[in-house]
Amino acid sequence: MNKNYIILFGILVVLSGGLLFLPEKNNYVEESPENLMWDIAQPTRYISTDQVAKMIIEKDPLFQLVDVRLDYDFEAFTLPKAYNIPIDSIITADASDILDIDDINTIFFSDDDIKADQAWVIAKRMGYKNVYVMKGGLNCWIRTIIQPEAPPETAPITEFELYDFRKGASSYFTGAEISIDSDIKKSVNIKRRKKENVAEGGC
Amino acid sequence: MHIHELNPKKTIITLTIFVVVIVVGLLTISNPRLKYELTPEEIVELVVWEDGFVFPYELEDVIVGSVDTVVLIDIRNTFDYSRGHIPGAENISAVELLNKDNIKRLKKLQKGGICVLIYGDTQLQANGPWMVFRQLGFSNVKALMGGYQYYALWKDNLGDSYADDGYLLGTADFDYADIAENARIVEDENESNKQTLKVQRRKKTTVVEGGC
Repeated sequence: MNKNYIILFGILVVLSGGLLFLPEKNNYVEESPENLMWDIAQPTRYISTDQVAKMIIEKDPLFQLVDVRLDYDFEAFTLPKAYNIPIDSIITADASDILDIDDINTIFFSDDDIKADQAWVIAKRMGYKNVYVMKGGLNCWIRTIIQPEAPPETAPITEFELYDFRKGASSYFTGAEISIDSDIKKSVNIKRRKKENVAEGGC
Repeated sequence: MHIHELNPKKTIITLTIFVVVIVVGLLTISNPRLKYELTPEEIVELVVWEDGFVFPYELEDVIVGSVDTVVLIDIRNTFDYSRGHIPGAENISAVELLNKDNIKRLKKLQKGGICVLIYGDTQLQANGPWMVFRQLGFSNVKALMGGYQYYALWKDNLGDSYADDGYLLGTADFDYADIAENARIVEDENESNKQTLKVQRRKKTTVVEGGC
């Protein structure tokens, strides 16, 4: 055999041996720590409960909700059409199937916003784009959307408009009874249809 | 006879160039300044176990100086810092903390067994930076529960916050399912005067089409 072939063979074997010492590569492109910190410093990842409610009501096709609480909390209550990815499952392939969709904005939520924010940091590091956090989580959802408080009489008109939206949203999500102002002396009862909006719609 | 055998040196030259390119490539491979030391699996474990937070009442010993192994860093903006901060805290934003000099200092503090306690306005503000530093291998970086807002409420009697749980996050304030089930909005307290009009709901269309 030609000596050159033996030399070539030897060199290639040595070089291929070097592959064993290369660090394990991920199948995703990680965000650098500098960029990640920069993103963290921006408040743009937070979406208000009002914005989320509006997107659900308008059936916005370009967003999806991800509940990062544990599965039994998710079973008890969640938002309509939300997926459940508990925070310890955020790095699994199943989670990737949900999160790694171009052009779909993913909004994480939990009881408040701390767990959702942690899920966001992990997802962001793993290179997922278009991920957001619902500010205030489900606690804020209940306070603002399900049980909105009327603004004081001296509040600007925009607050009353927001309150009106929230009242409408509340009845949308709960099918609740709405009692209208005493001047009108009438109340409107919206008959509930088997929890369709909240429980069935969300699972 | 193969064509290269006409000039055996050609193969040697090719091999040499090949090896040189590989070696140069390996030597000049980009080496980022900051590298993650924890895998995503490890950071998930960290956040699930919630290890790395400091209770507000533990701050009392740091402020009075009986504990000198803690460096306090206020990551809020300069304006907020100037309006009030925890005594002894330095004002360095989270992004600045990643600077070359600050990383060098953090490494030195880590070696010396000094805890770096970061806080923001709320715990949420410090949460992300805390996770980044943990991922970079700074196991001595911790975050203050409750943040500055909670501290400001209790600063005169921090020790008493031991019995309070107002700073705890990640818990449900409501039984969501129960509330969603029984939700109702009542503006009029004098319900007896009301006439009730029952409206059968029509396929969720009222609000959507209402253009809210």
